[in-house]
Amino acid sequence: MISLVKQHRLPTFSKSILIIVGGYGSGKSEVAVNLSRQLVNAGSAQVAIADLDIVNPYFRSREASEQLTSLGIRTINPTGGQHYADLPIILPEVKGAIEQRQGVLVLDVGGDDVGARVLSSLSGSFEEGAYEMLLVLNGNRPFTADLDGCLKMINDIESSSRLKFTGIVSNTHLLEETTAQIALDGLELARQVSRRSDLPVAFLSGLKEIIECDEFDNVDVPILPLERLLLKPWESSAGDE
Amino acid sequence: MAKVLMKGNEAIAEAALRAGAEGYFCYPITPQTEVAEYLSKRMPEVGGMFLQGESELAVANMLFGAASTGKRVFTTSSSPGISLMQEAISYMAGAELPAVIINIMRGGPGLGGILPAQADYFQAVKGGGHGDYRTLVLAPSTVQEAVDLTMLCFHLAQKYRNPVMMIGDGMIGQMMEAVEFPESYEEPPLPSTDEWAATGALDRKARIIKSLFLDPVGLENNVLILEKKYQQMIREEVRCESYKISAENKILIVAYGTMARICQTAIDELEADGVSVGLFRPISLYPFPEKEILREATRKNIKSVLTIEMSMAQMMEDVERAIQGRRPVHFFGRSGGIVPTPEEVKEQVLKVLSIKRRTAKKK
Repeated sequence: MISLVKQHRLPTFSKSILIIVGGYGSGKSEVAVNLSRQLVNAGSAQVAIADLDIVNPYFRSREASEQLTSLGIRTINPTGGQHYADLPIILPEVKGAIEQRQGVLVLDVGGDDVGARVLSSLSGSFEEGAYEMLLVLNGNRPFTADLDGCLKMINDIESSSRLKFTGIVSNTHLLEETTAQIALDGLELARQVSRRSDLPVAFLSGLKEIIECDEFDNVDVPILPLERLLLKPWESSAGDE
Repeated sequence: MAKVLMKGNEAIAEAALRAGAEGYFCYPITPQTEVAEYLSKRMPEVGGMFLQGESELAVANMLFGAASTGKRVFTTSSSPGISLMQEAISYMAGAELPAVIINIMRGGPGLGGILPAQADYFQAVKGGGHGDYRTLVLAPSTVQEAVDLTMLCFHLAQKYRNPVMMIGDGMIGQMMEAVEFPESYEEPPLPSTDEWAATGALDRKARIIKSLFLDPVGLENNVLILEKKYQQMIREEVRCESYKISAENKILIVAYGTMARICQTAIDELEADGVSVGLFRPISLYPFPEKEILREATRKNIKSVLTIEMSMAQMMEDVERAIQGRRPVHFFGRSGGIVPTPEEVKEQVLKVLSIKRRTAKKK
C-alpha cells in the first residue's frame, strides 16, 4: 500500500531524560506513550517509560504497558495489586533508571502541582542540563484556558517539583471533538506562554487525522502525531488497524 | 459557552455550583476525590461552604443539619463512604429534607477496589438505610449527562424535600469528556422553604425538624406523607432513553450508565454483521421505567431481554419485575471493577440468540 501520510518534522531530543508534566487532562500520558513509540521508530536503541502518576486511579500510561512492551519499550510500573492502586508508590527502579542514563527515559508524571510533587523526591538524582522537562498544555482545560492560568501552572509545578521546565508541548484538544482550528488556537496560546516564560515550544502534538489537515503544512514547530492508546471501554481500537 | 474538557468529577462539582449549591460536605475517597479537590478551590470563590469532615458519618450528619436550613447542600463519595452515610440518609428522608448525594461507585463489597462498578444499585434504589423511605436515583452515562443530572438533582431534592442520589460508576468520575454548561440556569418554580426550614425563630414560632414519632399513628401518618411523594415521583420523574430500538430487534438489551455506552458499541458492530439489537437505558433507577421497559420488551419480534451490568444481576430484578414474565430475561455482568468489553457483550447476544434457535428447533 502506498502511504500518503504527510511527513511533518518530528520532535528530536539530545537529552536522555524526558519528563512529561502538565495539568490534569492535558494529555500527558497519551503524549508520553506516543513519544516513546516515536523514539523507538526513530531508532533510539533503548527506550524506557516510567509511570509516575500517583494522583489518578484510571487512564494512566501503565494501561498501555502491553503494547509498549511489545515494541521493545521497557515499562517501569508498579506490578501485581499495586498496578491498580492510587498510592504514592515510586519504584526503586525509577531512581536507578534516572541515574544510570542508558538510552532514553520518558517519565510520565501525574497532573498539576500535586502530581508533580513526586519529582521533588527524585530531584536530587537529576543532573542539571541532562533532562528536558516539558509542560503539556491543553487550552481547553478550565485551569489552563488562558495565559495567566498557564503561567500559574508553570509556577506551581516548578515549585512543587523543584525542577525547571525546559519547553512546552502544545497539545490543545477536545478528544474526539478536536478540530484543526482548536489545535491551532492552542498553538497560539502556547506561543504566548512561550514569550512570557522564555520557554520554547518544543513541539505540537495532535491526533493523526487532525495534523494531516493542510492548515498544519506551514507550522514551524515539530509535530508529534498521536494515536490514542488509552481508550475508554466503548471506544473501539479497530479503526486503527 | 464553548465546550471545555473536564473530568467527570470536576464537571459534577461545577454543575452543582451552577445549580446554586451553597454547602458541600465531603470526605475524600477514590474515585471521586476530584469533586472535593475542585470545590476546595471554587466554593470559596462563590461564597459557599466547603467542609471536609472527619469521616463520612460526620459528613452525612453535617448534611442533615445543613439541609434543615433549606439551603442547597450536597455530598459526594464512593461506595464504602456511601454505606457509612445510610443512617443519615434515612433520617433526612424521614424528616423530609432536601439533599443531594452523589456516589461514584467502585467495586465492593467491603473495602473492595477502586475500579468502576455498579454494585451499589440495591443500596441506592432499594433504600440502603432503614424504614419506609425511597431516594430518587438518577444515573448518567456521559460527563455531559452527569452535568445535566447533577443540576436536576438539586431541583428534585427541593421539589420533593427528599434525598436525591446520582450514581455513576468510577468511569463517570474519572473520564475526561467535552462538556458545555448552560449560559444561564432557568429552573422551574419550586415551593418556598419559608414554611418549614430552620432559619431562626426570632419573629415566629419555633419549628421542629425530626424523624422521631413515638405515637404510631403519627409515624404511620409521616410514612403516608412520604409514600404520597414517592407515588408522585413514579408519575412525574421516570426518565429513560432508547437506542436503535426497532421492529427488527430480536433482542432488547437493558443497561444503564457507561455500561450502556459499551452496549451501544456492541450494537453498532452487531448491526454491521446483520444482527439487530435495541438498547433500553433507564436514566432514573428510582422511579424505575417499568411501563416503558414492558412496552419495548413486548414488541412482536423481541424474543428475549438481556440485562447487562457491572454488578451481579441487581438491576435485573427490577427488569424482571417490569417484564412480568412475558419475555425471558437473561443476564450478563462483570464485577469487582472489571468492565465488560463490547466483544463480551456481542458474544452474549449471540449466545442468547443461539439458545432461542436451539429451543425453536427442538420444538
